[in-house]
Amino acid sequence: MKISFTLNSNATKVDVPPKTTLLKILRNEMGLTGTKAGCEIGSCGACTVIINGEKKKSCIFPADKLEGCDVTTIEGVSAPDNKPNDLQESFLEHGATQCGYCLPGMIMAGEVLLAKNATPSRPEIKEAIADNLCRCIGYIQIVDAIEATAEKRAKGKGAA
Amino acid sequence: MKDNLKYVGDPKAQPVDGLDKVLGRAKYVGDMSLAGMLHAKILTSPVPHAKILKLDTSPALDVPGVLAVITSDDFVENGPLGFPIKDAFVLAHKKVRYAGDPIATVAAETLEAAEAGIKAIILELEELPTITTPEDALKEDAPLIPLEAPQKKGNLCDFLIVRNGNPDPVLDVSEHKFNQSYYFQHQEHAYLETEGALAIPEPGGGVTVFANDQSPHINRFNTASVLGLPPEQVRIIQPPVGGSFGGKDDIGYQLTAQVARLALNTNCPVRLILSREESILISYKRAAMSVQLNIGMDAAGNIRAGKAKMVMDSGAYASMSPLAAWRTTMHALGVYKYEAGHVDTQVVYTNNGYSGAFRGFGSPQAAAASEIAIDELAHLAKTDPIEFRLKNIIRKGDVAFTGNKITYESGLEKCLEWVRDASDWNQKKDAYPQADAETLRGVGVACYFHGSGLGGEGLDYARTTIKIEKDHSITLQSGMTDYGQGSRTVFTLIAAETLGVQPARVHMLRPDTQTAEETGPTVASRTTMVGGNATKVASQKITQLLNLAASDLLDCNPNQLLRDGEDFIGPDETPIKFDEIVDHAFEMGLQLSALGYWQLPEIHWDFKTGTGTPYTTYAYGAQVADVSVSRETGAVVVNKVWAAHDASKIIYPNGAKGQLIGGIAQGLGYALMEGFTFKDGYPEKKNLFQYKIPTALDMPEVEVNLIETNFPDGPFGAKNIAEPALIATLPAIANAIFHATGLRCREFPISAKWLKEKI
Repeated sequence: MKISFTLNSNATKVDVPPKTTLLKILRNEMGLTGTKAGCEIGSCGACTVIINGEKKKSCIFPADKLEGCDVTTIEGVSAPDNKPNDLQESFLEHGATQCGYCLPGMIMAGEVLLAKNATPSRPEIKEAIADNLCRCIGYIQIVDAIEATAEKRAKGKGAA
Repeated sequence: MKDNLKYVGDPKAQPVDGLDKVLGRAKYVGDMSLAGMLHAKILTSPVPHAKILKLDTSPALDVPGVLAVITSDDFVENGPLGFPIKDAFVLAHKKVRYAGDPIATVAAETLEAAEAGIKAIILELEELPTITTPEDALKEDAPLIPLEAPQKKGNLCDFLIVRNGNPDPVLDVSEHKFNQSYYFQHQEHAYLETEGALAIPEPGGGVTVFANDQSPHINRFNTASVLGLPPEQVRIIQPPVGGSFGGKDDIGYQLTAQVARLALNTNCPVRLILSREESILISYKRAAMSVQLNIGMDAAGNIRAGKAKMVMDSGAYASMSPLAAWRTTMHALGVYKYEAGHVDTQVVYTNNGYSGAFRGFGSPQAAAASEIAIDELAHLAKTDPIEFRLKNIIRKGDVAFTGNKITYESGLEKCLEWVRDASDWNQKKDAYPQADAETLRGVGVACYFHGSGLGGEGLDYARTTIKIEKDHSITLQSGMTDYGQGSRTVFTLIAAETLGVQPARVHMLRPDTQTAEETGPTVASRTTMVGGNATKVASQKITQLLNLAASDLLDCNPNQLLRDGEDFIGPDETPIKFDEIVDHAFEMGLQLSALGYWQLPEIHWDFKTGTGTPYTTYAYGAQVADVSVSRETGAVVVNKVWAAHDASKIIYPNGAKGQLIGGIAQGLGYALMEGFTFKDGYPEKKNLFQYKIPTALDMPEVEVNLIETNFPDGPFGAKNIAEPALIATLPAIANAIFHATGLRCREFPISAKWLKEKI
């Protein structure tokens, strides 16, 4: 099956078996291993990516729905030169990393929230990452990191 | 406490391996693939208990794409596995002992071919009676689960005791004789990354394995022995690990041996990554446990004597249960003054999966039971639960129920006082209980001690190596591993502080048995304390060499040297760059590499008599939980947790905070949602939809306070935090539910249905 879609702002064409998932395409065909597999049934959120501005679990996103989609993965959100963007930087500043396995999905969920809601409350942040399991850190420093980024971005916009 | 530390304790210190993780660049074992790599799949037992009558793997080899299949026959002496009791095998030998017991492993060109290979294997089993409770397992006529009875007493896997004085006469005369039982279900680790290993055959007949295990040197030793290779022919490298919590210990060695054998048989790289369903089915759990406590208290509310009888469900294999049961035993009666105390713990085989190491290592069950019991005693004594604890806790100079004196400062009193004041305890204690409200609200407290390091389990040592190259790069390596807990950051900060260089200059290598020194297991929250000291010793040795070079260059005595940032300053007050000193050291022919070795002072616990000193010192802490219970549904919501922990000096504050909050999340799951249960020996939960762990919405706001006390033997005074962090959460929630509803939860996880019926 031939599919054309946009991946991290690049026009992309792949030829894949019909019953595959976006997660498998990303990891096995494109070599983008930043998106993690945690359960492959949509229960943990480790594989979360952004499709047409919405967060989606790539492990249950079928290849045949991918045609024409705009997909962003963790590899696509960093600043130029592979530097962390402000949200990724904020995770480091808040010590919101332990094992790191949930982080790519968490960061994608955070980006979708911030794109839709520039001033989210803490309950709204928790709601936005509720599908993303983390077993290490107890979520609070992750919420802190997203909250601080929202404030910074809001300030940046105010100044501009 | 004012100190002149630059990097140790810096609240702005960042995780040294965080950047790769937030960029999605960190390569976990499942992210690695090699040309010609084969995929492996495991045949697991479909039943909880059976004799293997026939295991014919040859049809698997006829499946297109399958290159090899192995069974226990492919290992030296069938691949024995296990410490301290060697009762397991790399793959099941003669019988299967739990539903999910690995039997054979296939390597094939694709995962689909490996699955087809598994299906082609001919397996004939003769089912044996399934034993589902320790009580049934200990019956005289119960069928034996292990191949040999380790204690010559049927399914009794191990037993542990404490014998401190004689509690019986004291209990007889105590005004209050408290007797109660508690039960805790199994808990699944549910690390986000499942278990995996990738083996690469080496030209000289050896094998290199990337494994997400806990202790690479133990892995090397196990793998070499079951493969019949000299240890130096097995190289284990640990990539970033996606969480472990004790869970990637034995199973990591088991999977490593399988892929290593397959790689050697096929001469191809072989990767095995468990699916989530396989991980939940195959992996060991926190042991289910029943605890019976018998505590005597006088009329004035003084605890006097106690007895504990505990039964740990070890499941099909011993794994770490005997050692976890020892830690349970050492914490059974809690952090209180007793005139006498006895504990009897039985570790029993059943066919309920199997149990092993999980954060806390037996201590959470013991502390949960005793902390609920203490709350019940406070209620009997008509005393505020925090006041009651402050009256009865052990302090420096007191004797623990195990009979040993507390020789170092304890922060417990400060922890209890802080959670009381920060939570506005006294006000909530009076204001909350409102019998007619729709939502019942309450506060509960629990506190704990948790022995630091291995204690009486064995020699507690670590080795770290540091070297500075001619190009001025500084590398640091330890066989102690970081599976998320932050020890790479801790070691880096300690080395930077001691060497007087920016942390960014210090590069910590990944654990690799070919280059890292053997350093004992990465367990027991001992990494900061023991490994941190080894890192400090190695750094001090290098600093000494640098001082020698600087004094030679500056023509002075080493004791005349000063440091300003990284610069060295001699009597003429001209700052000399660190790199120049390194250059001069090389000109002098000095070798800028060092091995640091450190071990905790030796202590002794006599397992036979149940006496001695179990631990050099303890970490302490207390938590208050504020909960709401719905009268209509029985559902419990935790509104907020206040947590204070004494780990002495904190090296990496954001990391310590994350450990504490993360521990509370796991403790909250343990209390309210995470029971892993078996029905007739079959696990009732198969995936993360069925086995729920806390999400961001379940997590309350948490206020933490890391209380610093003095532990002179720790690096910069540091002790432990990772495991004890989760201990108090379950009993604090249970005690808060009692405050809210008047109902005592004694079986866990707490059932909303049960609460609803009882309210």
